[in-house]
Amino acid sequence: MAESRHDFVEGYACREVVELATEYLEGAMTPQQMTRFELHLNLCDGCFTFVEQVRATAGMARSLSEDEIPEETRAKLLEAFRGWRSE
Amino acid sequence: MEATYELSAADRGLVAALRDGDERAFAQLLSQFGTTMLRVARLYVDSQAVAEEVVQEAWVAVLRGLERFEGRSTFSTWVLAIVANIARTRAVREARSLPFSSFEVEGAEPAVEPERFREAGEPYAGGWKSFPTDWRTLPESRLLANETFDLVGRAIEELPDSQRIVITLRDVTGCSAEEVCETLGISEGNQRVLLHRARARVRAQLERHLDG
Repeated sequence: MAESRHDFVEGYACREVVELATEYLEGAMTPQQMTRFELHLNLCDGCFTFVEQVRATAGMARSLSEDEIPEETRAKLLEAFRGWRSE
Repeated sequence: MEATYELSAADRGLVAALRDGDERAFAQLLSQFGTTMLRVARLYVDSQAVAEEVVQEAWVAVLRGLERFEGRSTFSTWVLAIVANIARTRAVREARSLPFSSFEVEGAEPAVEPERFREAGEPYAGGWKSFPTDWRTLPESRLLANETFDLVGRAIEELPDSQRIVITLRDVTGCSAEEVCETLGISEGNQRVLLHRARARVRAQLERHLDG
């Protein structure tokens, strides 16, 4: 056991952990999978960092979003609504 | 957040107000769903102008359908499915081929290049040869530079269509997994694989940029 930390983190090698990152972040794992996955993260800085990078990537994508529709479009849609109302 | 929006008792009031033609109620819904509706429409049609027409048409369908809406799915899921249907019909009518052929998941696509891991038979087989860099140790000016965000935007644009559509709806727009599955008509499993591959590719580009 002492010779390989990865044996100890049974079932998941780093190579597998990176493929499971989204399943983990999506909450799509069984409780057993999650326990094994988190055990691995606790023992492996590389995979912990990887999962954080995936999370950061999603966060950066989110900040590309414009929160409001353009004023001109909004005005057009409101006008269409008035048209519908008076039908 | 629109992603968790449901037709609660208060919203039933809103829906009733809409049916009565209350413009403020409409303006509120527009703020809540407008951007997402436009993005969904843009997945199918060529121009922003056509997307706006699709959204207008969708609103009319939403307003007409309110009587029949029973709250079995979330309100936003229902609205987005209407937008997607109208946009698809419009794309077909204009004889435009859809921007992608399918959301099937094809082939294997490792999230990280296999060379980054130790080979079978070596000690720590399947483990990292060297760890990725912790981005939190980078100066904020680098991580939060406009250049970095531009790179994320470009990386998303360059993804294969099915991946680009899923990551745009999920991560850029903030739709829930359920909304994306319903809107695109794909299984939860495929949605997750496409999201994973998309995020992995964008992450890899970021890594190359930030480590460089």
